Amino acid sequence: MASAGSGDEKAAAAAMITLISSDNEKFEVTEATATLSQTIRHMIEDGCTDGGVPLPNVTSKILARVIEYCKKHATAAAGEEGSSSSFSDAAFLEVDRAFLEELEEFDDAFLEVDRATLFDLILAANYLDIKGLLNLTCQKVADSVKGKTPEQIREMYNIVNDLTPEEEAEIRRETQWAFE
Amino acid sequence: MDPPPLIAMERMLHQLVSLGTEMDALLLDQTMERMYGLLRSCLPDSPVYADAFLSADFSSPGGGGGGSGAVEDRISALPDEILRDVISRLPAKDAARTAALSSRWRPLWRSAPLVLVDTLLVPDEGSLSLSREAESAAAVAAVSRILETHPGPFRSVDLANGAMDAHRAELARWFYLLAVKGVEELVFVNRPFPLDLPLPPAIFSLASVRRLHLAVWRFPNTADLPRGAAFPHLRELGLGCVVMEDRDLDFVLARSPVLETLVFHSSQKQVNLRIVSSSLWCVQLCMCIVQEVSVVDAPRLERLFLWETAGDRVGTRVKFGYAPNLQAVGFLVPGVHVLEIGDAVIKVGTKATPKTVLPSVKILALKVHFRVRNEARMLPSFLRCFPSVEALHIQSEKDDQPTGTLSHKFWQEACRTECVQSHIREIVFHEYRGKRSELAFLKFVLENAEALQQMTIVLANGTFSSGVAEAAKLMKDLSYVKRASESCNLVVLESSNFEGGSFWCCQAAFDFSVTDPFYYCYTVY
Repeated sequence: MASAGSGDEKAAAAAMITLISSDNEKFEVTEATATLSQTIRHMIEDGCTDGGVPLPNVTSKILARVIEYCKKHATAAAGEEGSSSSFSDAAFLEVDRAFLEELEEFDDAFLEVDRATLFDLILAANYLDIKGLLNLTCQKVADSVKGKTPEQIREMYNIVNDLTPEEEAEIRRETQWAFE
Repeated sequence: MDPPPLIAMERMLHQLVSLGTEMDALLLDQTMERMYGLLRSCLPDSPVYADAFLSADFSSPGGGGGGSGAVEDRISALPDEILRDVISRLPAKDAARTAALSSRWRPLWRSAPLVLVDTLLVPDEGSLSLSREAESAAAVAAVSRILETHPGPFRSVDLANGAMDAHRAELARWFYLLAVKGVEELVFVNRPFPLDLPLPPAIFSLASVRRLHLAVWRFPNTADLPRGAAFPHLRELGLGCVVMEDRDLDFVLARSPVLETLVFHSSQKQVNLRIVSSSLWCVQLCMCIVQEVSVVDAPRLERLFLWETAGDRVGTRVKFGYAPNLQAVGFLVPGVHVLEIGDAVIKVGTKATPKTVLPSVKILALKVHFRVRNEARMLPSFLRCFPSVEALHIQSEKDDQPTGTLSHKFWQEACRTECVQSHIREIVFHEYRGKRSELAFLKFVLENAEALQQMTIVLANGTFSSGVAEAAKLMKDLSYVKRASESCNLVVLESSNFEGGSFWCCQAAFDFSVTDPFYYCYTVY
């Protein structure tokens, strides 16, 4: 494995993994795509991916989206490895920059989802341990509450205020600076 | 992003000090803001920001929800760990307010590591009507309350809004709280005046700090510190616009056993830096007057960067002792910087011997006054000291008083060094102005560099009425040259810095994944 020549490396990159969603749909993905998930990476390392990887916590609808994300970012990671192997020349830097911009646009478009999907993606990213996707989705939630009052946030996310008026007053008193 | 040359900073400091409080308050504020902007360019990016870049409009009832999900409270069902992650991405006020959402949320802010950026504490509309003093006082008051209320740990605290001279009691208390609540990353910029407010020696009690950036302070006298004062976990240190004695800098390096990166910028004093460290990986000196930088004993040092260090006025001595892993060095200025390797001072005609070369260096950046003979003549001697360079950056400097052009013959006779003939794979010529002296050097390189794969010529922005026409002319001039390397690719582009000059990107220089930070000198990062 460690002494793999370039031919073997290509073979390894093209190795396919089958992912099975909670509703029993099968997805064939390359190992490079699948291993963006640390959870799946560990399964591959432990050699327990024969016959497919069952993911009982992820529906086919969400898994399809997660795979879309991983495919895009796996390509990006491959590109980066290529550039660090030699001194990045000027032309390469331009290509890199264009690619990063494209990746940002992809991420923005990827997040154009309804709330339910966003939460499903967060849970899937957490379960599959995909750091980039978790960062992205948590940032989206954080951005959605910035500058809003607790009332506005409760309304936006259907949060029921179960604090007694006394409790709420106490919280406001303790962190008065946050409400000024 | 672009740090203007030192002269701007120095002039500004003199102006500030001489005019002091007599200066018109508004003008003073503007000058301070500009200075602050300069300092900020060498500080890490803030960990949180106020704007919602990832637009999310879920505000209409059930907004985009669809189905039964629209009335469920999905967010509160997320695991604690994820909600804490979300809270840590919020400005401190937004973060603390989440405690008032419901009983589910009440304990979360306190149990999430604190991320605090004090410039986000004072509302935008406030800063227009508040005087700088009032804004500072409001920020200081808010910081005090947050540091008291939050139990820690403090993941990241970024304080850049307080004029601390008026708040010395708070200053002492803050350091106590930062120490006992385990701050990991701290940026602390004092707002003048004065420019040299003493930093409390309690800075040495921040035992858990991993990343520390301090600006606009007088550094404490380390001779008075208790034995054992140290930064056991410090990995990144930035010191900007500080008054600091050389021995105190020595002390900090000696007491930071895992320090990997150091940036020293806009110093208020001339700098003498002796690098003795078994952990340092990257050292940057930016916009300082550097008398001497001496790499005495630095087994892990890979990068040494000098940016706008005003060597032309003090003739900075750059000395290399034990640095076996040094890979990237620059910008050195032949004929201005005095280069010493081991015990040898490099002069015109110094021969390459095992004692006068640094064979580990693969990336070298030099600034050259091509039309100042005595300086340009030193270029071959400098190149001889770095025989294994594969990527060479040459920045052509503007010559106010040209003293003559070195001919193509000079380069042929004096500059056929080992690195040029056998190792250079890439050369970037920054700030090309279309002078004969520059062209002579470029032709010489093309004729002699056998391993050359890529030559990039960056036209100085604003020098040519038409960059395209100049590029075509240059390509034509160079097309007649018999190239030593037939596979060499030639590229001409124009610098994207509209203000002229080149950039320095401190963050890129610190970035392990950026192999060659000098590429960022002509293009906006």
